Amino acid sequence: MQRFTELVVFSVLLAGLYATMAYGLGLIYGVLRVVNLNHGGVIMAGAYLGWLLHEKFGIDPYLSIPVVMAVSFVLGIAIYRGLVRHLPRGPAGGVQSLLLLFGVWLVLRNAAYLLFTGNDQTIRTEYSTRSIAAFGVALSVNRVAVFSIAVLSLIALHLFLTRTFTGKAIRAVAQNADSCTLVGVDVERIYSLTFGIGTALAGLAGVLGATLFSFNPSYGSGDLLKAFVIVVLGGLGSVVGTAAAALILALVEGFAIYWLPAYLTGAVGFVILVLVLVVRPGGLFGQRVLG
Amino acid sequence: MTPTRRTLLTAAALAASAAILPAGPARAAKDTIKIGATLPLTGAEARIGGFYKEGYEYAFEQQNNKGGVKVSDKTMKVELQLLDDTSTQATAVSLADRLINSDKVDFLLGTYATNLVEAQSAAAEQNQMLYVNGGGAASAIYKRGYKWVFGLLAPVELLADSMMKWVDEQQKAGKLPKPAKIALLWENTSHGKDFRKGVSEFAKKSGGGYQVVVDESFELNGKDFSALLGKVKAADADLFLADAHLPDYITMHRQYVTSGMCHKMASYGARGSEKQAAEALGKKNVEYVLSAVWWSPLLAEKSKLDKEFVDGFKAKHKRDPEWYQALGYETARALFVAIEQAGALDKTKVREKLAAMKIPSILPGGELTFPAEFGQQSHAPFVVQQNQPDGSAPIIAPADSATGKGIAPNPNCGK
Repeated sequence: MQRFTELVVFSVLLAGLYATMAYGLGLIYGVLRVVNLNHGGVIMAGAYLGWLLHEKFGIDPYLSIPVVMAVSFVLGIAIYRGLVRHLPRGPAGGVQSLLLLFGVWLVLRNAAYLLFTGNDQTIRTEYSTRSIAAFGVALSVNRVAVFSIAVLSLIALHLFLTRTFTGKAIRAVAQNADSCTLVGVDVERIYSLTFGIGTALAGLAGVLGATLFSFNPSYGSGDLLKAFVIVVLGGLGSVVGTAAAALILALVEGFAIYWLPAYLTGAVGFVILVLVLVVRPGGLFGQRVLG
Repeated sequence: MTPTRRTLLTAAALAASAAILPAGPARAAKDTIKIGATLPLTGAEARIGGFYKEGYEYAFEQQNNKGGVKVSDKTMKVELQLLDDTSTQATAVSLADRLINSDKVDFLLGTYATNLVEAQSAAAEQNQMLYVNGGGAASAIYKRGYKWVFGLLAPVELLADSMMKWVDEQQKAGKLPKPAKIALLWENTSHGKDFRKGVSEFAKKSGGGYQVVVDESFELNGKDFSALLGKVKAADADLFLADAHLPDYITMHRQYVTSGMCHKMASYGARGSEKQAAEALGKKNVEYVLSAVWWSPLLAEKSKLDKEFVDGFKAKHKRDPEWYQALGYETARALFVAIEQAGALDKTKVREKLAAMKIPSILPGGELTFPAEFGQQSHAPFVVQQNQPDGSAPIIAPADSATGKGIAPNPNCGK
């Protein structure tokens, strides 16, 4: 029973990070119909920015989150306005945007190799190896902090999308961009803003991940794959669905170790992805529109 | 023959001889031995590739300062043609092909990382090009029956075996329980598989001295090891033996520490004594971690050859070399010695000298050989180190290389 509780608690904590990694990707696809392959690159950039702020200025990684998100937001807007805006969207522009954003990812990764070399980096704080006892389990302070921030950010995002005018405009554009234009919504501005928010969330995932794991310029590629699985499982554009899918993935990966060799547990998520695509192509929770 | 015709014929003969004879620079190349190599200078392995580059360059510089390599009755300078294989297999193979067939190098030195060496050595073998490497440890590389490939990195099985021998001494001294329960975690690579084989075989041969209670592999660059570590915790093992690369060691050990685990002995294979790990995890959290490596600068306290290398390298770079630079240096030196022994640039003759090589070496054990029974892979012993509370990591085994005394069981457990 103790072992069961431990696995559940660890999985729930991990799910918070998974959800943060995934929602930026889902948001951008839900509104712009663009698969942002650069998501992994921004996760890596967010990790390095958090590390730089900690190493150079001694800023605690959690306090650096607003800076990291602001820089990622501006980066997202620049990528949208400078590159993505000029491409056709939807099925017609799918391949172009995939290639373009994959290219941006490669540029970011190689820039990181040039700037920081391939050395593995870590963020170490006084509380990096500290733990607290809860439910009879020793919980890493960092993991609890990451989970709390992840939950808070998802709640904030949900409230933003459902309670504010801009949030409602984003949801409306996701449903029907042409009608939004007719009623005076500046669709280009909404696209730009959405791309910025999605990228800022990737930056957040990066800095949160960097408090838990070591990283180098190739960091983010595994996260991107997990994010894909979660987005497809949860249904594109659903905050609650994303959170639930992240929890399912973390639980399945955690418990799979009982039946499978540990190195295969990472593949379990992809098996579920294929099953869901075959049985429920709209995701476990159906196709909702950003809410 | 009229003077005009004679002049024309002479000019034609000169033109023809100019076309046949090598051009100036190529003729000059006859006085130098051209040795090709690729290293991962960019990409995922860039950091370590850079270390090997330092080792190669230092070896070439030292050799040329001595006048060069003595080939029969003349001394020839050595020239390194080094290319960046970008840490990718395809590039490593195509650049090796270029060095052999376009640049016409005389010999090849190997790249770093098992997967790159595995791919590149096949290209060298196909071209019957002598390939001496110090960057591929997996025994699988040398079990293919290749004739032209020589390796200086001893197999990881031997790493596990060296470590287990020290653990066994502690058990025999009554410091560790008998039987001791082992939790064995290994990365799912040829490196990890060799480690697992080394530990498992030692346990089997121990006649009940050791019992492997957890035997699990994990993916390289893993994110979350909490479920895996939960299994280790539940098994109530005495020894925690993992084989991991540096990022996984840091991530895994951070989770290990926060979960409150403490084993009588813990190791992450070749990782453990890195300064970077102590900075990332905190000095206290890496105390008494065991590691085994192919070489340590501490060997300079025990051997003149090592001292010369360490002092020379330190004078040039203002820091101690790590095992990467030492292996790069020794790889190049082994090739130079073989050429001198052969007294020719003939590949077959140099290959024969490498196959029969038995020379004093900076590697632990003090001797370099390429035993045929192990596919021409060196089986030099490993040095076992243990992190101490003062931040040092002395060599604790083998006894003839030891610079300090190991401690077992971990005194921090239960504090």
